[in-house]
Amino acid sequence: MNTCVSSSTFHTTNLIQSSLVPLPLRQSIAITGAGIVSPLGMGWQANEVALAADRTAFKPVELFDTREFIAKTAGVVDLPAESLFRRIPAHKQTYCDRGTRMLLMAIREALAQSGRQSMDGIDAMVIGTSAGAMPLGESYFEHARHDSGRDPTQLSRAEHYQPQRQMSSIAAEFGWRGPVIIVSNACASGANAIGWAADMIRSGRAKRVLAGGYDAIARLVFAGFDTLRALAPSGIPRPFDAQRDGLALGEGAAVMLLEAEDVRQSAALGNIAGYSTATDLHHLTQPDPAGKAAIRTMTAACTQAGVSPAQIGYINSHGTGTPFNDVAEAAAIAAWAGDAVSKIPVSSTKSAMGHLLGGAGAVEAVICLMALQGQWLPASLNVREIDPAVHFDLVRQFRRASLDYALTNSFGFGGTNATLVLQRRFA
Amino acid sequence: MNVSNICIRGVGAVSSAGWSAAAIHNAVLAGIPLPSKTCARPGDVRNWPCESRFAPASPPEKIARHPRLRRSSAITRYSVAAALEALADAGHDPAAPPPGLGILFVMMNGCVNYTGRFFHEVLENPAQASPMIFPETVFNAPASHLASFLGVDGAVSTILGSPNSIMEALDTAAFWIGSGIVEDCLLIAAEECDWLSAEGLTYYHPNHIASEGAGALLLSACGDGPRVSEMIGPLAYLSWQERCELLPDLAAQTLAKFQGPATLINDSTGIHKIDRAEIAAWSGRPWDSVLSPKYVLGESMGASGALQLVLGTLAVRQTQQPVVISMPGSNTAAYACVLTP
Repeated sequence: MNTCVSSSTFHTTNLIQSSLVPLPLRQSIAITGAGIVSPLGMGWQANEVALAADRTAFKPVELFDTREFIAKTAGVVDLPAESLFRRIPAHKQTYCDRGTRMLLMAIREALAQSGRQSMDGIDAMVIGTSAGAMPLGESYFEHARHDSGRDPTQLSRAEHYQPQRQMSSIAAEFGWRGPVIIVSNACASGANAIGWAADMIRSGRAKRVLAGGYDAIARLVFAGFDTLRALAPSGIPRPFDAQRDGLALGEGAAVMLLEAEDVRQSAALGNIAGYSTATDLHHLTQPDPAGKAAIRTMTAACTQAGVSPAQIGYINSHGTGTPFNDVAEAAAIAAWAGDAVSKIPVSSTKSAMGHLLGGAGAVEAVICLMALQGQWLPASLNVREIDPAVHFDLVRQFRRASLDYALTNSFGFGGTNATLVLQRRFA
Repeated sequence: MNVSNICIRGVGAVSSAGWSAAAIHNAVLAGIPLPSKTCARPGDVRNWPCESRFAPASPPEKIARHPRLRRSSAITRYSVAAALEALADAGHDPAAPPPGLGILFVMMNGCVNYTGRFFHEVLENPAQASPMIFPETVFNAPASHLASFLGVDGAVSTILGSPNSIMEALDTAAFWIGSGIVEDCLLIAAEECDWLSAEGLTYYHPNHIASEGAGALLLSACGDGPRVSEMIGPLAYLSWQERCELLPDLAAQTLAKFQGPATLINDSTGIHKIDRAEIAAWSGRPWDSVLSPKYVLGESMGASGALQLVLGTLAVRQTQQPVVISMPGSNTAAYACVLTP
């Protein structure tokens, strides 16, 4: 078979498929625990306090030399100095990456919130990450580059660079032996991981799944966004501002414990009511200007949740602060919401903590859960003049609200779009 | 949907044996390790052995043309070629892939060539590092390019993990198909080799030979083709010792699932220290034949599970007998599966 295909044969616009079908099952998935580590703080309470205070968390990056970069700040997590692992010997912790440590803290909080001390009874972990343990890969590269001799210490770097090996350290910490699925769909990884976990429960393949995402700031990734001129030179991201000039990177992790209703043993904080994913074929790094894929995921996720746009009480947007992203997302929200658009509150919490990449979708889903629980809306900060593309109710200050459903969007390099709909849990 | 309800309608592959599934089949049946050569270290000389088996240069007819593929990495080119072969093998015109197609990608190291190149530029002079390269370093870039090439705008995802993470992807693909998210699914596992990954492997054992490639399977709910009638695992482990201890259980669980003559496709590398637990685990019954793709092709890391499945599919088609595939994994979990006609 000759598989040589001329470029003229493939016009993706003519080949748009309607393969996105919302799952027919409308079973709600209970969220019985959640953990969050972000530049705003460690844990639910610290993040809630910071969001309520409209606080931002950007500071100079000291993890590596930033003198040659345009941007020099990010949302950096201050990890505790003490050891976070209790069961793993100290010498083996050397190769546990910063992102893994953040994930461990988030898992501990999620388990504690659901009244668990261990991971017993958890059927699977689904974790999203964009860069994995990239700093270990960087270290491996630098050692290899500087010394052509055989260096036995490289084995540990090569081994622990692998994300599944990092997850194995977490499993070992809990003495847990179960399947771990690592989703890597760039900046939609965390949202996809939660969606996949919900799908696993809906389909009966699992009853109880830990799901979330993480990423730590890495030199290569920081440099990558810097070379793309995607980082705000000022270090201040201004999502949906008319003069926005880029994003700020951040780091963090968030995890949810999802359970089927028939096995739930503790009070639910909320539900995962809908999830959908689709692929934007426009460009490797730029969204389709009309946000067609986002329209499809928002529509399908709401269909699965059984809600209309008017019932969505808050949208945590992808809202990076880059010129292309925000206008495309604003167009997508307007097209999806129709007449309801002006009444839908929208904000980007990346304005406060930066873009957490593979962790973003999970952290923002937990923020939606916090908003549903606390009946408040976090703000889009740093906005001076609202972009004319914005037709929704841009939340510019923390405010109290009454909401039953929240929606969060995640879009990634490669065109992966994901939308989650979360539902308030009534007492 | 259970994995046993989906069939493998088409396969495709790129490997050190060549740019087709048949090339793997022929090479592995011959059972002779392919020639290897020293993996060059850019700008430097290594004073210790480090061998590799790269995929041969692409035949002209295998070069897919598309704006997205002009600068794409080797892993993308392997993946596209394998995917198009799988589609053609299933009777589809690759220029008009079936509607409702999904794509699931699996890899371990990912786009290492561009990643190494970009990081080298960052270390040399960050201000002059190329913005064109960075997006190609992202793990899901190959899936994105393939989706763009085929016009797949639905479910497209990338999974990271061990060589046997293809089994997790298979389970997910079965769910996607069974729940109507997709009608057919291209399941692809791919890897590209560079001097860093080749050296990395030698730290596990000096005789490890790095390789590369891609294996693609077109999965559907209906139609002709072998089925994964049994999937055993994951049996998770936290150490090499635990891995060795649970492999007999993996084999026992698998062998209880079928009777009669069968072929075994194992994970053997030809390095006794690495292979002995797996070989011992599966030695309790006679096999019609035992095939060891890694021994012949080299260690293609994230791609190796898919290459085993491609080989297994061809073996089932040829023998009309069950094929058992052993995937003990390297650092997290062990799997096995049974393919039947």
